[in-house]
Amino acid sequence: MTKTRLNILPTPTFGHLGVNYTEREVGFAGKENISVPEGADRQIIQFVDSDDDTCVAVGKNARLQLVRVCASEQGCVSKVNAALDEDAELGLIQLYLGGNNVSEIIAELNGSRSFFRADIGYDLGKDCTLDLNLAADHNGRKSISEINAGGVLRENAQKIFKGTIDFRTGSSGAKGSEKEDVILMDGAVVNKTVPVILCAEEDVEGSHGASIGRIDEGQVFYMKSRGIPEEKIYEMITRSKLARIIRKIGDEKTEQRIYNILGWGDEVE
Amino acid sequence: MSELLNVTGLHTSADGKEILHGVSLTIEESSTHVIMGPNGAGKSTLGSAIIGSPEYTVTSGSITFRGEDITGLTPDKRAKLGIFLSFQNPVEIPGITLSSFLRSAYENVTGERIKLFDFKKKLKAAMDVLNMDSAYAERELNVGFSGGEKKKAEILQLLVLRPKLAILDETDSGLDVDAVKTVSAGIKAYREQTGGSLLIITHNTKILEALTVDRTHIIADGRITAEGGAELIDEITANGFDKYIGR
Amino acid sequence: MKEKTQVADIDRAFYDFRYEEDESSFLGCGITPDIIREISQEKGDPEWMTEFRLHALKVYERLEMPAWGPDISGLDMDRIVAYIRPEKRMQNDWESVPDDIKETFEKLGIPQAERESLAGVGAQYDSELVYHNVRKEVAESGVVYTDLESAMHDERYAEMIRSHFMKLVPPTDHKFAALHGAVWSGGSFVYVPDGVRLEIPLQSYFRLNARGAGQFEHTLIIVGENAYLHFIEGCSAPKYYEASLHAGCVELFVGNNSTLRYSTIENWSKNMYNLNTKRATVGENAKVEWVSGSFGSHVSYLYPMSILNGRGARAEFTGITFAGEGQNLDTGAKIVHNAPDTSSYMNTRSISKSGGISTFRSSVVINENAVGSKSSVSCESLMLDSISRSDTIPAMVVKTDKADVGHEARIGRISDEAVFYLMSRGLDENSAKALIVSGFAENVSKELPLEYAAEMNNLINIEMKGSIG
Repeated sequence: MTKTRLNILPTPTFGHLGVNYTEREVGFAGKENISVPEGADRQIIQFVDSDDDTCVAVGKNARLQLVRVCASEQGCVSKVNAALDEDAELGLIQLYLGGNNVSEIIAELNGSRSFFRADIGYDLGKDCTLDLNLAADHNGRKSISEINAGGVLRENAQKIFKGTIDFRTGSSGAKGSEKEDVILMDGAVVNKTVPVILCAEEDVEGSHGASIGRIDEGQVFYMKSRGIPEEKIYEMITRSKLARIIRKIGDEKTEQRIYNILGWGDEVE
Repeated sequence: MSELLNVTGLHTSADGKEILHGVSLTIEESSTHVIMGPNGAGKSTLGSAIIGSPEYTVTSGSITFRGEDITGLTPDKRAKLGIFLSFQNPVEIPGITLSSFLRSAYENVTGERIKLFDFKKKLKAAMDVLNMDSAYAERELNVGFSGGEKKKAEILQLLVLRPKLAILDETDSGLDVDAVKTVSAGIKAYREQTGGSLLIITHNTKILEALTVDRTHIIADGRITAEGGAELIDEITANGFDKYIGR
Repeated sequence: MKEKTQVADIDRAFYDFRYEEDESSFLGCGITPDIIREISQEKGDPEWMTEFRLHALKVYERLEMPAWGPDISGLDMDRIVAYIRPEKRMQNDWESVPDDIKETFEKLGIPQAERESLAGVGAQYDSELVYHNVRKEVAESGVVYTDLESAMHDERYAEMIRSHFMKLVPPTDHKFAALHGAVWSGGSFVYVPDGVRLEIPLQSYFRLNARGAGQFEHTLIIVGENAYLHFIEGCSAPKYYEASLHAGCVELFVGNNSTLRYSTIENWSKNMYNLNTKRATVGENAKVEWVSGSFGSHVSYLYPMSILNGRGARAEFTGITFAGEGQNLDTGAKIVHNAPDTSSYMNTRSISKSGGISTFRSSVVINENAVGSKSSVSCESLMLDSISRSDTIPAMVVKTDKADVGHEARIGRISDEAVFYLMSRGLDENSAKALIVSGFAENVSKELPLEYAAEMNNLINIEMKGSIG
């Protein structure tokens, strides 16, 4: 197999940072299509364990909650390409729990007032990598995107998160926000964060924020002063980051299955 | 009465600047002490130093609790021994609910596992004392809480964790009349239920009305400049600190 | 509406094609080793410098154009080469200076002699008198402030220059750094000895007299230990050169426990490709402070870089970029944390108007050894209309767990409410907007010496009044 260039940053930046693209062998079995017709309301839950290329269309006034869990041991290449019609809503929950994953998520907010919300969580341990390229392309008027990413890197895990909000001509009244909160647990981790905003419209509001590093010292002290030992505090806070996203799935069986993968047992916290 | 806390010749500094210049203080079991003093005198620093805040370095002196030298202990060990600090500005911890946090703290402090159901019962009882809506238990710790709600949440933790010494740092500041009443009721309940000691850092005498104060300490410029009984509070209320500033 | 679409489309297409484009067809040739020898001989370079130039030329030929950033295919290298040749260099005349530049001089109230100097033509601006006074005070403090060419021949500084020149920005850094290494001319040399705190700012303004200087000028500043220097580069008046490339280089060496503040207000004429490289290395507990205003030029690539090499080293970057009609200004900063307990702070604003494109581009790298380091980046962008463009492309690379990195960015427009409020107090719409934009630029103006801040506000007013409505 030949290597394919994936996860191309919508506008390239300094080459030496190694964030402009990724090269990897891929073996997409084919394209999968998910289509939610006008006015419908769906939830789809997928455990992604092989290379996957999924096209999503959310029709007028339709809603889709798409849950994707990448938890295979070796990881995979996965793509989601979603198009949102007028007043369409896509809530994407995507979790990366191990392996070497390359993942691309493109949401085209084509319809007026279309709404895209992404909750991205990861817990990456020894030798795990994640290269994630996410873009919310605002074409429709008053379209809204909310991107929340966060998780924890342990041992020698490496992660790249590229998140782009692209306000294109015609997207007046659009709003986009993006946040990433990364906890680094060990000295050998490598984290790269590239939060891009591209803007060709005046009447838009865009924001992004990132926080990378240790758990806040004030939080650690506060919890310690109540008698909780340090290791337990780290455990609680890192779990809470993921648990927050997992709880949004709202499907008990799936949630339990994910807790089992994470080895959390019955008790989440 | 036997001795609970003993602070001897405590010097602390932050960012290389000394704040406490040799503070000594003894608190007996089941007693109520009050610390008063002008702004920036070092009152909060003393409270933080007793629980072991990493912000302050103890440069000399010692702190013993129930006969054990705790000067070098981490805050969680001190909490386990029975010290509690009610923070002036409790931090927000997103993602962790008040209930799960407090349950974890409870298990660590007491050293015993508690069933979720039993814990919820305990929590509910404490919340009733403070007229707190039980929905607070499932909210993220301090996140989006108003000033008054944060203070109530601190007292709630006090009631659940039942420490031997509770240090209340300006717990009454910024509260309206009703909230002061609620918080006072909580403090009173703590005293009655546990017989633990109190070290109250305050500007305001309202919160003391329902309590019997055993001893008052005045701190000015990082030193204890006067000590006395409850009558000292009245004197300060009437005449201010001027007399106790400087040497 | 049609116009809007065009702007966006052209830009996207450009991004998409960047990878395939073969740029070797232009910029690859034109300058020969003979031309370089000629330049070197005319300048009376020491031998090592002639060799350095020839080496840089080889590197230049080998390197490719950057695969990112604004389009520079409009750069006419033949013309630039023609101007580099010693016998032809900078023979402009006042008549050829574009009218809009002359008008701006007029609006800024700059005297004729100075205008001609700024436009790179004719008589030198008579700044000697002012400069002499500065020089006296500076000399008394033990500070050396001279042009780089003569310093190279002064035995007191020759070795210092040889051991520092293009060590921080080697010709291999990128294609235009190599070009600079080959053809550099003019510039400043500043040396601040240990323990000297220079209270008055040094201004490169007084040094821009040399013929042809200001295009490939090299600034080398060495600050010893426990010292302080504020260096101000440029001024708000537009600088015009017929040959439209500026590829300068600034190298700053900040010794332990010292602070160097480097302020720039740059207003190149709007035909200029400004491909400038600025870099600082910062020692133990030392600090570099960049204050940077980018107003002029057709295209800019400008990312002052701070390398925090000593424990406890700090960098602060405060910048503003104003991209108006026909401008594509790609600016930002780079920080490398290379030692424990280092910290960096970046605060930038950018404004896009009348079809201008402004891009904020940054990188913060925290290396494995930079334990206990902190970085905070905040950038805000203002879009003044829908034919303009504003992009924000920050990157953060963190290789240790013992670091705290924070980033915030915001993009938006002038609030109608604020404009209405000001108008209700009697300001017309243009003035109201100009006032709001000046307020938006306050992060930079409050860091500048008073007269520079006033000049910058003046510049914003001129830009704002240009074409609103």
